[in-house]
Amino acid sequence: MPQRLIVILVEGSYIIQSGIELLIQEIPDLVLTEVYDGTEKKLVDKIQQKKPDVVIINPNILNETVRSVANQLNKNGVFLVGLVDNNTPDNLCSLFKLCMNINDGKYELLEILKNIAGNKTSGNAKKTTISELTNRELTILKQVVFGLTNQEIADKLFLSIHTITTHRKNITRKLGIKTVSGLTVYALINKIVELGEIEQK
Amino acid sequence: MLIQKEMKLADVIHHDHKLVPVINRFNIHLGFGDKSIEDLCVEKEINLEFFLTILNAYHDHKYFPKKHLQSFPASVLVNYLNKSHRYYLDYKLPELEDFIMKLAEKTELDKATFTLLKNFFSEYKSELIQHINREEERVYPYVLQLESAIEKGNISPELIRQMDEYPIGDYETEHDNIEEKLFDLKNIIIKYLPELKNDDLLFLILKELFELENDLNDHSRIENMILVPKVEAMEFSIKTRNQ
Ligand SMILES: [Fe+2]
Ligand SMILES: [Fe+2]
Repeated sequence: MPQRLIVILVEGSYIIQSGIELLIQEIPDLVLTEVYDGTEKKLVDKIQQKKPDVVIINPNILNETVRSVANQLNKNGVFLVGLVDNNTPDNLCSLFKLCMNINDGKYELLEILKNIAGNKTSGNAKKTTISELTNRELTILKQVVFGLTNQEIADKLFLSIHTITTHRKNITRKLGIKTVSGLTVYALINKIVELGEIEQK
Repeated sequence: MLIQKEMKLADVIHHDHKLVPVINRFNIHLGFGDKSIEDLCVEKEINLEFFLTILNAYHDHKYFPKKHLQSFPASVLVNYLNKSHRYYLDYKLPELEDFIMKLAEKTELDKATFTLLKNFFSEYKSELIQHINREEERVYPYVLQLESAIEKGNISPELIRQMDEYPIGDYETEHDNIEEKLFDLKNIIIKYLPELKNDDLLFLILKELFELENDLNDHSRIENMILVPKVEAMEFSIKTRNQ
């Protein structure tokens, strides 16, 4: 799973909050971590503490403070998205990098969210999804398949048990296989070990 | 969709066919015409409220009214859990095993990989059987005895001894996650098998695995979050009564 973008929503209506939440769940690169209704004190500070990548704001609920909120967040490199309707004046829309109109259909709204995700992740985040194991991980995988415990592997390879558990977590995460028997099947199918080797041990 | 008692069961099944195995556990078999859920419950002497709650919880995973489910008698819960065990052992496991055995004749999967899959599955199968047996031989009978002892106000020394020896908290700690291996098997099939020209059978196996995993998750959730706290409360009430 690539590193996900943190999204914060500022919107007062429960129904619209839930709707936006459902839409965001459909885009795996985005995760909604916090929802504010716009009445919070020191809203900008609260938002900034969460270090969001994207903030979606309904400008109507912030009234006259909207400009200063937008400017402060903009300075911090947050990707600002306006949640507007057909009556929102154009000069408010211009405060945002992108606008979502709540009267739009699912298709249009998802296109905008995809756009946001694509914009921000195209650089480095996507590259973190390498599924291949490193040489060190391969060595450790073999030992696991041979039935050694983490402690035994640590002793054999002169590594700390902590390092071994970290490697094992990474192996499981990369392969999507949790159990030792599952790892054994994987290693045999991919000829990382031979059946004879396992039987000897 | 919230399932309600006035609804025709046929409409509910049209809406979510995954509920078929669940209604089976309540002794309802297909061919029930236009009867409403309520009518069927009267006819088959089913606890209506429990049936509705289970249907809704299975249909929508976010709908899981813990307090409400804990309010049903342990015997009702155990009966349902027992029935789903039967579904896994008598129906799901044999079916999956059958599909896996057929891989050898129906596909060009090489013999070594076939043997790996077969062995992995049979290992899983015996783990699941062992898991279920322990619950049926040890845990569930204990739960039922506790409940009936409290009802009758007659707590035998034997029961107290059992309570000390194997309290429900011990079951909770050793209650292992029986879905893990299924998860692995799914990934092995999805990601790591050699490409086959004819993989229809693998599709079927995957579909079965997803269904079984989903059902087991639901089952364990009832054991861990409903049965265990309920039994803990019963144990507590016996302990305080005896002091
Ligand atoms: Fe069980
Ligand atoms: Fe269980």
